[in-house]
Amino acid sequence: MKANIFGKKIAFYIAIIIVWQAVDSADIWPDNIFPSPIDVGEDLLYGISDGSLFYGIGTSMWRLIIGLAIAICGGMVLGIFMARVETVNQTIGSLVLGLQSIPSVAWVPLAILWFGLTDSGIIFVTAIGAIFAVTINTYTGVKNIDPSYIEAARNMGAKGTKLITTVLIPAAFPYMITGFKQGWAFAWRGVIGAELLFSFLGLGFLLNVGRQLNDVSQVIAMMLVIMGIGIVIDGFVFKRLEDKVMSRWGLR
Amino acid sequence: MGKIEAKNIEKFFEHDGKPLKALGGVNLTVGDGEFVCIVGPSGCGKSTFLRILAGLEKPDGGEVMLDGKKLGDTGPERIMVFQEGALFPWLTVIDNVEYGLKVSGIPQKERNEISKRYLDMMQLTQFANSYTYQLSTGMKQRVAIARALVMDPDVLLMDEPFAALDSQTRDLLLVEMQLIWQKTQKTIIFVTHNVPEATVLGSRVAVFSARPSIIKKVIDIDYKRPRVAEDENLSVYEKEILSSLRHQGPK
Repeated sequence: MKANIFGKKIAFYIAIIIVWQAVDSADIWPDNIFPSPIDVGEDLLYGISDGSLFYGIGTSMWRLIIGLAIAICGGMVLGIFMARVETVNQTIGSLVLGLQSIPSVAWVPLAILWFGLTDSGIIFVTAIGAIFAVTINTYTGVKNIDPSYIEAARNMGAKGTKLITTVLIPAAFPYMITGFKQGWAFAWRGVIGAELLFSFLGLGFLLNVGRQLNDVSQVIAMMLVIMGIGIVIDGFVFKRLEDKVMSRWGLR
Repeated sequence: MGKIEAKNIEKFFEHDGKPLKALGGVNLTVGDGEFVCIVGPSGCGKSTFLRILAGLEKPDGGEVMLDGKKLGDTGPERIMVFQEGALFPWLTVIDNVEYGLKVSGIPQKERNEISKRYLDMMQLTQFANSYTYQLSTGMKQRVAIARALVMDPDVLLMDEPFAALDSQTRDLLLVEMQLIWQKTQKTIIFVTHNVPEATVLGSRVAVFSARPSIIKKVIDIDYKRPRVAEDENLSVYEKEILSSLRHQGPK
């Protein structure tokens, strides 16, 4: 069954490549507009052999990880406060909803003015793009906790930070995972978008270099890498984490 | 020690914008080591009364005393067992049982020993490392009782803990609950809407009236233990409770 699904996927992607090659061979568009899969593959191999691809991936990843870590910590704190203190929810809560509607690349001009063309600026864009998704999901999670968990814990003497770390966070964790997953997706878009505009190392930068050199196969190669990393992180990191939490919490 | 006194407890709820009197001055004294059941019509506020005793809700009038001292916020000297158990699904059985000890800073080794003792008492040892979703409803309530007992409270407050159980499991737990009480000598206040359950468990049964509730009658059940639900001699008491529940209509 599982092998069958996997087989279908492989066949589908091979079919895409064959169609792609066939369209290219038909010579409808010139090669500098529509490259063949072989051109793109060569570009990828070139990036691998001179190490520039790994350097780009590494740079984008560490910016992503730091930005996402900031977003997760900040979003959890903000979400818990919003859920537990009504005044915070009524004030900051409405602002959070508004800020979430700003696309993360729209923060880039502000980030450049504040931080200059630095890593900090890109990390700022990444973090701010992801933080509100974490905040809102944490808020929903904490709001949905069975009140008897909190009462039982208080009854047994848990107060303040102990209540937060031993009950609020674990009880809301299934929701928070959803927030992390959304947050990662926003962060990934944010880091690539910011790198494009900052033009300062990373995969987004390599994408932009491709455009500047009129090298369409490099542009497509970088897009494939960005997609591939997205699939890997979504499928391996977050799906596994989610499955683990859901079954451990008895929700599945 | 665990002598608990409720003096003239009043509680209002808001209903359609108007205050609705739920508890109309409830007085109840439960002596140290006594097992008292509270029965009453549904919606009469018996669970609210218990929550006030636990300190989970504040009364609008009156006060609760433990051994002569006025009680406020919730505390580990009076532990509540909730209707659905309120066990933490992210913890194993033993971690659930240890939770209160961990929060109060008891070292690992010590809390492990205490927890194991109560797991053994509740016949849960083989499930120590299971997660709660893997347990039946009856098992979950055993864990909830063990989790309350490890805190060594003066008073155990139980809010319809057996309401969701099938009758076989309930009968078993009714007998066990009496043995636990005799072994631990705890003061127990047990809220239920099930009259035979109250008759089997209680040394005294307090009958709540409809809203605004007061205690209408307290019935002493002086009968040998452990009692079982099918004992016909208990039906005298059941009838007495039922008739005082019936003769009350809206006041």
